[in-house]
Amino acid sequence: MELDDLKRTWQESKSQVQSNSSINIEMMEKMKDKYRLKLRKITLSEIVGSVVCLASAMFIAANFDKLDTPLLLGAGVLSILLLLALPLISLFSTRQLSKVGDFEKPYADTLKVFANEKIKFIRLQKINVTLSYLLLIIMIVLVSGLFSDKDIFSNKYYWILSIPLGYIFLLFYSKWVRNYYHKVLQESEELLKELPL
Amino acid sequence: MDKKEKFITALKANEASIYKIASVYTSDAEDRNDLVQEIIYQLWKSFDTFSHKSSITTWIYRVAMNVAIYHLKTAKRKVQTVTIDDQVLNLNEVEHADQEARWHLLRHSIDQLNLLDKGIVILYLEDRSYEEIAEIIGISSSNVGTKLSRIKEKLRQQISKQVS
Repeated sequence: MELDDLKRTWQESKSQVQSNSSINIEMMEKMKDKYRLKLRKITLSEIVGSVVCLASAMFIAANFDKLDTPLLLGAGVLSILLLLALPLISLFSTRQLSKVGDFEKPYADTLKVFANEKIKFIRLQKINVTLSYLLLIIMIVLVSGLFSDKDIFSNKYYWILSIPLGYIFLLFYSKWVRNYYHKVLQESEELLKELPL
Repeated sequence: MDKKEKFITALKANEASIYKIASVYTSDAEDRNDLVQEIIYQLWKSFDTFSHKSSITTWIYRVAMNVAIYHLKTAKRKVQTVTIDDQVLNLNEVEHADQEARWHLLRHSIDQLNLLDKGIVILYLEDRSYEEIAEIIGISSSNVGTKLSRIKEKLRQQISKQVS
C-alpha cells in the first residue's frame, strides 16, 4: 500500500463522517456544563488523596503522646511533614498540567509547553515517589508506637514480615516507576529537540 | 445570519476533520467523542476572538490540534498506546472490510510518529498546502517540506513492516 492509498483512505472516511453529521445548536448549549463537570472530576481524585493524607497526619498528631522514645518522636514529626508535603506536591504538579493555554497559538508552541510541563511533572513525581519510600519506612517504625501497647520492636514476626515485604514492594514499584517515567521523559526530550527554537 | 448560525455553518464544513483529528489523538470512541466536544466548546469560546487573519479552516485546525494536546495532558494519557481495534471511526461510517483494514493500517502507522510529525501528517492527509501547514504548526514552509519527506519515509517503512 502506498501513501496515496492512505491519503485516499483518509479522504474516504471524511466523506462518510460528513454524511453522519451530528452537531447542532442544542448540543452546543449542553456542552458547557458537561465540560465543567469533567474538569471537576479530575480534581476530585486529587482532593480525596489529599484528605486521606491530611487525616493520617491529624491521626498521628492526635496520638503524639504515645510516641515515647526519641526514635518514635522523630518518626512522628517526619511522617506528619511528609503527609503534608506529598499532597501539596501532587496538587501542584497536577495543577501545572491542567493549566489551560492559548488554543489559538501555533501547534509547535503548544507542543513546547506540553513537553516542558511533562518533564517538570515527571521530576515532581520522582520526588513524590522518593518521599513515599521514606514515608513507608517511617510508617513501619511508627506503627509500633501508635497501634500497640507493647513494644512491637521486640516482636520478631513484625520485623520478619514488614521489612522483606516492604522491600519487595519498593523494589518492584521503583523499577516500574523508573521504566515508565524514563520512557515518557525520553519522548518529551526528543520532541523538544525537534521543535524550532 | 447570527453568530451561532455562522459558527454552526463553519463547524459543519469542518466537522469531518475535527472528528478525524480527535480520533488520531485518542484511544477509543468514548474518548474521541469527549475530545470532539472539548474542541467544539473551545472553538465556540474563541469564536469571538477569531481575527480573520487566517481562513476559518486554518483557525479551526489550529484550535482543534491544540485542544487535542491539552486533552492528552488532562487525561494523563500516554501518547503512543493506542489499541487498533478501538480506533476506527464508527464502523457504520466505513462499511467495507477492505476500507476498514486500510484505516487500521493508516491509524497504526500514524501512531508510531511523535506529536509534531503526527500534526504535520494529519494536515498533509487533509490536503492542506505547505503554507497552510506552516501557518498552523508554526514552522517555515521549507521545514514542512523537509519534515514531510522524512515522515513519508517513516510511514513507508511502517506500512511495509505491517504488510509483510
